[in-house]
Amino acid sequence: MNPVDFYNETLTSVPTEHGFYPYESNGGTALAIAGEDFCVVASDTRQSNGYLINARYAPKAFKMSEKAVLANSVFAADGNALVRRLTQRIQWYKHSHEKEISITALAQLVSNTLYYKRFFPFYTQVLLGGIDESGAGVVYSFDPVGSYGLEVCRANGTASALIQPFLDNQVEFKNVQFDDKPRMTLDRAICIAKDAFTSATERDIYTGDHLEIFIIKQDGITIESYPLKKD
Amino acid sequence: MDAFVNRFKGSSTFLADEISMLDGFGSYDAVKEFSQPVFEIPAVQNANCTDEKSDSECRIKIEHGTTTLAFKFQGGIIVAVDSRASAGNYIASQTVKKVIEINPYLLGTMAGGAADCQFWQRELGRHCRLYELRNKERISVAAASKLLANMVYPYKRMGISMGTMVTGWDKTGPNLFYVDSDGSRYKNDVFSVGSGATFAYGVLDSGLDYELSTNDAIELGRRSIYQATYRDAASGGSVRIYHVEKEGWKFIGLYDVGKLHWEYCGL
Amino acid sequence: MSILEYNGAAIVAMMGKNCVAIAADKRLGVQLMTVSTNFQKIFPATEKCYIGLAGLATDVQTLTERFRLKINMYKLREEREIEPRTLSHLVSTTLYEKRFSPYFVEPVIAGLDKNNQPFICGMDLIGCRDVPRDFVVSGTASESLLGMCESLWEPDLEPEDLFETISQTVLNAVDRDCLSGWGAVVHVITPERVITRNLKARMD
Repeated sequence: MNPVDFYNETLTSVPTEHGFYPYESNGGTALAIAGEDFCVVASDTRQSNGYLINARYAPKAFKMSEKAVLANSVFAADGNALVRRLTQRIQWYKHSHEKEISITALAQLVSNTLYYKRFFPFYTQVLLGGIDESGAGVVYSFDPVGSYGLEVCRANGTASALIQPFLDNQVEFKNVQFDDKPRMTLDRAICIAKDAFTSATERDIYTGDHLEIFIIKQDGITIESYPLKKD
Repeated sequence: MDAFVNRFKGSSTFLADEISMLDGFGSYDAVKEFSQPVFEIPAVQNANCTDEKSDSECRIKIEHGTTTLAFKFQGGIIVAVDSRASAGNYIASQTVKKVIEINPYLLGTMAGGAADCQFWQRELGRHCRLYELRNKERISVAAASKLLANMVYPYKRMGISMGTMVTGWDKTGPNLFYVDSDGSRYKNDVFSVGSGATFAYGVLDSGLDYELSTNDAIELGRRSIYQATYRDAASGGSVRIYHVEKEGWKFIGLYDVGKLHWEYCGL
Repeated sequence: MSILEYNGAAIVAMMGKNCVAIAADKRLGVQLMTVSTNFQKIFPATEKCYIGLAGLATDVQTLTERFRLKINMYKLREEREIEPRTLSHLVSTTLYEKRFSPYFVEPVIAGLDKNNQPFICGMDLIGCRDVPRDFVVSGTASESLLGMCESLWEPDLEPEDLFETISQTVLNAVDRDCLSGWGAVVHVITPERVITRNLKARMD
């Protein structure tokens, strides 16, 4: 290469700048419904990155104790890191207090764990479903930096806007005139969860593949699995 | 006693050398547990990734949008708030508790970042309890509000967003302070905070009278929040009302705005 | 913030058995401030065809007048009412004329044609037509509307059932959207008549 070309091509070219962005969105949806003596936590298992599907079976919901299930959506890496951190803290709690952590304490723990990363947040929306000390079903939902509240039903993740109004209507009977509202049964809750996910799968490209439903009752947690559309 | 208290004074969030800087009440910190990225990330360093105004692709949405108000009258203080949390245009929740019960005689309200308010007012509650154990008397509202203001001040311009009213009844009577994450702390008889505050002020100021009866004062608070939810798209849900009395605060009620509107219409 | 979200709107149209329904909310806002709770977003084009316009309110009103002109001119020239399908093409080309400085409006068209066959059509702001066989949505609450439609709608609904379905859809969807709501209006178009009902909704 002659010196002039070398100068033109090498020395005057602008160096390429490589940016690094610490977050990405892996999609996915989770919902939770609290009943009188049970709680249902459902989530799909697809993990995507843009138009690519990373994995068709990458569960987002995890059993945290005998009476609590945590589901997270959006950024899988942060979600998994959060679950591992919490699992360790729950172990410590168990060893130092010689009892299982209650769902109220766990909710506060999740909140603090999220807030401690206020200036570099876990990019995840968390749902915590379970049974409280009195045996009633409870659902806590968290924002990425740890604000939380008690709810009856809640949908999180990429299809949350598609599912949440449906839950308002079918679980909380919003905009429905009833003299007395029917009790939520376990069968109905599972049915609503399945309907919500089949509908969401039709329109949200980040939701699909498999549906995992955790049923939390006083005598333990069972998991049911259903297929969703894979397109 | 002090030995016992000292066991709990260092929170998970505190720098030892900062104890002298602020208080004798025990260390507020929160610094130590806070994780920062260990490497330089443009998105995180420049504009905080939870900043409302930043427009990056993966911006983390935190819940915003509120109307809260509190005012003094002859019977104490009325605190009224709405219950909506919105993320962008989407309504994330209609059942948020925007009044934070710091302890049985102190109330805080929530506007701005929900997590910021919840976390710091919980931390404030802890400090107030430590003060009580150490001094064998309750903390004044003035001191409590200053504690909160000073706790969050070191984080100024780091993205924390908090607009809160601290109210309660102490030796000097009912007290009402406004504290925010910019470092402001004001004492006054009337405050309204949030996106619907201007609408609430409109009703509040026209009906406010120190000699109002308790029931009339409650009604004024309720009506003000309702009118704000009507005009402000980011406020709604239910009106939650508290009354601060000499014996501490009292929860008055939760009124669904959906039904309230038709009551006010006379239907 | 997108200019399409400046005033706020929620519009949905649904197919039934020999009938169609179209519904919209009533809010006119300026970003977060509600200015009017009685703003018309659905306009009759013919006796059996309605246009819903979601988006920037100024363009909604401008386009209403332009469409009124075009529909009347069509009627005078052809000496017959415009068909919903023809109308959808007219709307589409009107929007595409402004390809590089568009009207910020996403229209929804619903109607019965001369054989009383139901027709619904949605469009983006530059006139890309979408003619589905089930439902179309438009406006700031479109995600919520889509979720509700997808779970509540079923084929071959009779007019009264269609009314109930579209009402529940629009009411529950706008309750999860800041920028729309404050009342709603539903038109169910049947071969015999058009049933218009105003819905009582949450006013927050």
